[in-house]
Formats: sequence, structure tokens, C-alpha cells
Amino acid sequence: MSTKEKYDNAFIESFSVEASALGDALEYNTIPEWDSIGHMTLVAALEDAFSVSMETDDIIELSSYAKGKEILKKYGVEV
Amino acid sequence: MPILAKPRVVEKFKSFLDYIRKNDGHIGTKQRGLDMNLNNACNLRCKHCFTNSPKGDHVKDVLPPEKIADIADQADKLGIFEWDLQGGELLLRPEMLFETLKAIRTERFYMYLTTNGYYLDQAMAEKLAEAGINRVSVSIDSIEAKEHDEFRGKEGSWAKAIEALKHVKAVGMSPYLNITVGHYNAQSEEIDALFKYSKDQGYTTLVNVATPAGMWQKMSEIMVDEADKAHLIQLRKKYKNVLRNIWNPFGKDDEAILGCNTVNRLYVTPLGDVLTCPYVHIKIGNVYQQSLKEISEFGFSIKYFREHSALCLAGEDKDFVSRFLSTPGTSIFNPVDAREIFPPEDIRQG
Repeated sequence: MSTKEKYDNAFIESFSVEASALGDALEYNTIPEWDSIGHMTLVAALEDAFSVSMETDDIIELSSYAKGKEILKKYGVEV
Repeated sequence: MPILAKPRVVEKFKSFLDYIRKNDGHIGTKQRGLDMNLNNACNLRCKHCFTNSPKGDHVKDVLPPEKIADIADQADKLGIFEWDLQGGELLLRPEMLFETLKAIRTERFYMYLTTNGYYLDQAMAEKLAEAGINRVSVSIDSIEAKEHDEFRGKEGSWAKAIEALKHVKAVGMSPYLNITVGHYNAQSEEIDALFKYSKDQGYTTLVNVATPAGMWQKMSEIMVDEADKAHLIQLRKKYKNVLRNIWNPFGKDDEAILGCNTVNRLYVTPLGDVLTCPYVHIKIGNVYQQSLKEISEFGFSIKYFREHSALCLAGEDKDFVSRFLSTPGTSIFNPVDAREIFPPEDIRQG
């Protein structure tokens, strides 16, 4: 699986959405599934997918599909 | 205030997540939440009430704000990140509720309110959101208004509850449709209809299994059986928006069990007694006499609360209910004392 596929998969499985839902417009609280519990589920999925452990500040900054890619760069992951 | 605006909550939540993953997906002895019955007065007369509010039990008692502030400080230090304020019906006394929220300092917790929704109009929803409530669980028993109203003892209560959830969503708090599921309704078409309604509206469905406690003491026939539990798992897989505290909410496995949350989620009564769970009326301390840390440590020294249980002790473990939760007259205000009900060999010493 490519890095992009792993990244997308994390969102798809965390929120039970289709791939078509992914994109820059996807942000925290824009879908019912991306609430507080959903957010931590996403964090868990990304950490598992890329074997990283995210800092609190980055978890807070991870407010959108687009932003997530920027944050993962800090952990050596290029999506 | 969303969770992303509460750094302290994110920090504690992450700690919880890391612990779960290192502990084989189990909750173990990691502190998670605090459920607080702030006051037991209620405007409804629900048949299944576990606090005996319909009987008028202790409806005037309330924990004072200074004590709540102290509990909140202790809870924060222990890593507790969730706080569920419940009653009774706390929206009967909104001034008391908002004073409490101020004392708690809601920026430190993922805050929720459990309510029957009767007094939750748009204005109240806005005030709750402003005060730092992240989520509101509104209890609904049926897709049919008449059935819900009859169960809750007040005509019109279903309509108010349904509207309440819409207000919660409109102001940006997380709307949770709270359902009590027992053997009497687990596999009914009605329950499926309610789950579908919740999904269609964009809510989260929170399942509480029925427990033979409070108004339903000794009614073990209401407890879910294996077929009921399997059906709930099927509903979880079907709708994807279904939670139970005993289920692991993280990860891809829709059948993953976190474990019974006794002591991980402490239940504090208006008298300051601390029980292991809202439905397990066993007392492990009192906030006026011990610290939360001491109380938690004692709670986890008891093997039933320390060891992993894949069953909800109060709602699924008939053996536990029969052995420890069947003393006549037990209630949240008259709990059995853990030191009296468990034999010494069940309590780790030292």
C-alpha cells in the first residue's frame, strides 16, 4: 500500500466514509463521525499506519485532511 | 468548545489511548472518567431509573461548588479526561449546573451532560456550549412517542427529547442518543428503527444495557443475553455510529472489548460517596474522607475491578449480580460497602 493509500485508509476506516469524502474540505466537525472520539480514533489509525507517536500539539493541529499531511512530514512521512 | 481547544484533554486522552494499546486493547486500571450525580431531583418518573429519583430519594442533596472544584483538581491529576454530569435531571436547576461547570473548569475535561432533554431548548443549548460542554446524551427509549412517554411517565417528553438533540447538534456539541437496551427490546424492530433514526440524523448512539438496579432491582430478567449482545454487535457493524463504554472505540475491530469500566469511571453521589460505577452500587470511599487517588487505588485492589472483565458486571454478569448486587434495599444512597461485601482474599493487601 502506498503512503497515500495508507493515509486515506486511516480516514476511511476511522470515519467509515467512502474515498470520495476525502479532500481538503474534510475538517474536524464537518462530518458527524469526526467528533472528539472520531478524532482520537483517527490519531490512533495514523499512528498505527505510520508507526509514529504524535505530540499533543500536533494532535490538536490535525484539524483537517490537508493539515494532516503537513503534520506527518514532521514525523518523516511524506503523503 | 471543541476538544481541539482543550489541550489538557487531548494530552490525557492520548495517554489513555497509549495505555490501551500497550495493554492489549484493554482498559486495565487506567483512570478514564468521572460520572457525577450532582442532584437527584427529576421531572420524569422513568420506570428503570437507577437512582430511585421517582421515589424522591435525596432530591435536595447536592455537592457544593468548592467540593466539586477540589474533586476536579484531583481528577485532573489522576488523568481523568471525561466528566459526565447527570442526575436526576440537572436542567431542572440550571443555575446550580452552571455554577458547577465553573467550579470544574471545563477546559480540563471532555465534558458531557446526560439529560432527558425536556428543558433543553435552543437557548439552553447555546449556554451549555458556551460553558464548555462537548457532548450531550439525551435519553430516548423508543421511536414511538407514546411508548417513550409512557415509560418516562410524562406526555410530551419524547417530543422534547427529539428536539433537544437537534438543538445540541445545531450549536456544535456532539449529540448522543442514549438508549437503554435490555432483553425486553434488544432484538426488536423498534430498537433497529431508533438506531436508524440516530444514524440518519448524524448522531452517535450510546447504548447502556439495562441493569437490575434502582427501580429495577432484582429484575434480572431484563439483562441482555448472548444473543442480545451479538445483535448489538451486528447493529454496531451495520450503523457504524454505535458506542458502548465497554467497547473499544478506537481501531478497526467492531468486536473489540475494552472491558468493564468499574473504577475506571468513578461514580460520585450527591452525598460524596464514590461507587465503582453508576450501576454497581458498591461504595469504595467518600470524597469527604479520602482522596480520589486513595479511593481509586482501593477500588483497583479488588479483583473484580482490577482484572479484565469482558462482561459489564452490572448488566451482563448474572453471577456477579447475584453474589454482590442483590442485597435488598441497596441504592446509590444506600450502597453496600466494598469492605463488607468482598471477602479478604478478593482484596489485594498492601
